[in-house]
Amino acid sequence: MKIRNIVIALLIASLFCLPVFSQGSKEETSSTQDKLIDITFWYNPANVEAGAPPADWFIYDRLKEELGINLILTALPSSATDRDVKMNAAGAANALPDMMHLRRPVMINLAKQGLLAPVDDMFEKMPERTAKMYNQDSFAYATYNGHIYGFVASTGDIKKNEGILIRKDWLDNLGLDIPVTLEDYMNVMRAFTYNDPDGNGKDDTYGYGTFIEITASEEGLGRRLDPFFGAFGCAGTWDLSKESAGLNILKPEYYDALNFIVQMNLEGVIDPNWLSQKKDDFKANWKQGKYGMMREQNASYAAESNYKPFDKNFPDGEWIVIAPPVGPEGKSAVGVYTNVNDGVIAINSKITPEKKDAIARMLEWMSGPGYYAIGWGEEGVNFVFDEEGVPTTNGLADPSKGFNKAEIVPLLQLKGLAYYWGEAELKSRYPSYITEYSKKPMSALVTLREMQAQPWIKQAGVDLLPLPNGDLKRYYEQSVAEFASGNKKLTPESWDAFIKQFKALGGQDWNDEGVKTAKELGILY
Amino acid sequence: MKKDNSQNAVKVKLSRTDRIFNICVDAFLIFMLIVLVIPLWSTITLSFRPNHYIGSYLEGMFLPPWKWSLDAYHALLGNDGFLDAFLNSFKILVGGVTCSLLLTIPMAYVLSVHTLPGRKWINIIIMVPYVFNVGMIPTYLLVKSVGLIGHLSAVFLPTAISTYNCIIMKQFFEGIPGELKESARIDGCSEIRVLFNIIIPLSKAIIMTIGLYYGVAFWNDFFHAMLYLTDKYPLPILLRNILIGSGMNEFVESNAFGNAPIQAIKAASVFMAALPMVGAYPFIQKYFTKGTLAGSVKG
Repeated sequence: MKIRNIVIALLIASLFCLPVFSQGSKEETSSTQDKLIDITFWYNPANVEAGAPPADWFIYDRLKEELGINLILTALPSSATDRDVKMNAAGAANALPDMMHLRRPVMINLAKQGLLAPVDDMFEKMPERTAKMYNQDSFAYATYNGHIYGFVASTGDIKKNEGILIRKDWLDNLGLDIPVTLEDYMNVMRAFTYNDPDGNGKDDTYGYGTFIEITASEEGLGRRLDPFFGAFGCAGTWDLSKESAGLNILKPEYYDALNFIVQMNLEGVIDPNWLSQKKDDFKANWKQGKYGMMREQNASYAAESNYKPFDKNFPDGEWIVIAPPVGPEGKSAVGVYTNVNDGVIAINSKITPEKKDAIARMLEWMSGPGYYAIGWGEEGVNFVFDEEGVPTTNGLADPSKGFNKAEIVPLLQLKGLAYYWGEAELKSRYPSYITEYSKKPMSALVTLREMQAQPWIKQAGVDLLPLPNGDLKRYYEQSVAEFASGNKKLTPESWDAFIKQFKALGGQDWNDEGVKTAKELGILY
Repeated sequence: MKKDNSQNAVKVKLSRTDRIFNICVDAFLIFMLIVLVIPLWSTITLSFRPNHYIGSYLEGMFLPPWKWSLDAYHALLGNDGFLDAFLNSFKILVGGVTCSLLLTIPMAYVLSVHTLPGRKWINIIIMVPYVFNVGMIPTYLLVKSVGLIGHLSAVFLPTAISTYNCIIMKQFFEGIPGELKESARIDGCSEIRVLFNIIIPLSKAIIMTIGLYYGVAFWNDFFHAMLYLTDKYPLPILLRNILIGSGMNEFVESNAFGNAPIQAIKAASVFMAALPMVGAYPFIQKYFTKGTLAGSVKG
């Protein structure tokens, strides 16, 4: 009897508890408000690990007051694959939101099904935003079947933001000049490895530090070794030049470049763990003074929190940005860059013209009157303007509410919709500072400018080219790594055999399809 | 009076081969223990790394405890997103386990009653969707049509009854002597009263075990939360966001965890997410062995 009563009580209690699990529908609440246009938006948060903006976010109020819009946000998962699953499921259920962040393949898939609205007519309604953020590359990226189906979304990437860094103090210690050619590079790497550049009496340094970091446009050994491939004119996965378009791996120069990496490996001037170590190990190693040269990202090297451990270990240490090596034919490039990020903001085809106009107004507002609010928070609370008009936290009444504080991150989750990487943004993002231990001035922005001034290969639109099948990709990456590490001897014969097999696995088709696509898209330079 | 069994124990002299075999088995088990302990130890020590630690990963694993730091835990627990996600997970856990047990117990009991009319067909109806899963899109449409999109209950209601758990529980109920149920019925008990007064009090082990199964599944459920929720995500989603997001955040000056080392944050969040289930296990352990053996021995 007693147990039966408990179970019945539990049943009743669970019925009462059900509302606890309900989150309340924002749509229902908002629809009761007059004259407001509800806009549901599934967005990629700027900081995926932080929470969503709070319910009393001042942006919600401003959108209601200034534009008559009730914005209803849903943060998408951090993983692109998870986002695709969620978006495809919602698409199949015809339950897409009004606005959504999408990857291009999903955009095409949904556009084919007629679930997305063309946005060609919206650009003229947002002139300031279009001038700041969109160009022919971004239009091409979001075009399907003759119509533009989305606004290219910024994910915070800045172009050409990596470069070759070298230990200037090591060069000075050993009386060496800044290397220019591949031969110079090899000599300096050799000296950094074997001539005790830090003078600690230990054999604990390497000429070049790296790890495998592969992207679709930087296949094979990845972007960190691309400067050496750039010296042979074959950086990146593709050659998008008009005269010799195609996969770089099929070009004779690729063999020569790979041979140079093999030599680096044989000479022992490259960190022997480079094939297995991860990014964290790589970063720990340069901060512990093990590397004399590397390709690194500007903020990852020079931002205050990233530079601090190195500064503490080596107050006399100094990195400088140098030009990438010049190859036998005078070619040189840090790597490849593209102007387009992998994502668009698309519009549901079911929305009314009134709602479509409201979306255009809102996006224009984010690039105009709401720009600083979206990007930095409330003026006077989260930021103030300095004398150059750059948002800063210096002079805030309550510095704990500065836009760069962890607690404020949820308020800036939509900043990717406003940022266009203008000068003010960059100065704000990369403020100058004095290092704690060596007391020298540092600026990730100055580093960025130095890196951007180096030779790069433009490959806008490379993201639109076809990808290799899984087997081919594995074969490509594994074989190149085996050659580079010396596990497989690199000879003209072994390379020919590899290329033959590469083509047989679909490499030739991949190359032909890629060239054809590049010509159709007009992205050969 | 209890007998001292140890006095009666017969000492068996092991041959050399037996001893070598035992040593090999011991060595293998120690090796397996090390293999299991290393990642656990690595995660724990990583979560206690101080800010701006610059030693190697291996050195960090052997950092003396007095050099450990709570920086990562301070940053994690100071993050509203983490606490909200923890609370959401807790709601899903409580709601899910309660709902699942309330539905699974009666269903398993009904299936264990051999005199149930059409029992064979009911079993088939239950087994077919278990073998041939209905798929993601139809389930999504169903959840949407009943208005559960965006509600925490969408995470546990569609999967409230696990056929597998139901079958295990049914097997356990079938193992309870039929005479007990029969005598209760003779005394005038209805089937509901038989369930509440006879079956459930004798089935604590299986209820706790299945409850643990459900609890672990709901606590770790990522996919349904990702698919159906539009806000107020639970811990597995935040955890995945932290693990994936860290790669991007090295390029920015501020993230949701301030200056705390992101690797330590990752490890601390993994540790914190596992803690409730690890903490609950000792209390359920005494039932667990008995429960998991349910239906394993016939006759």
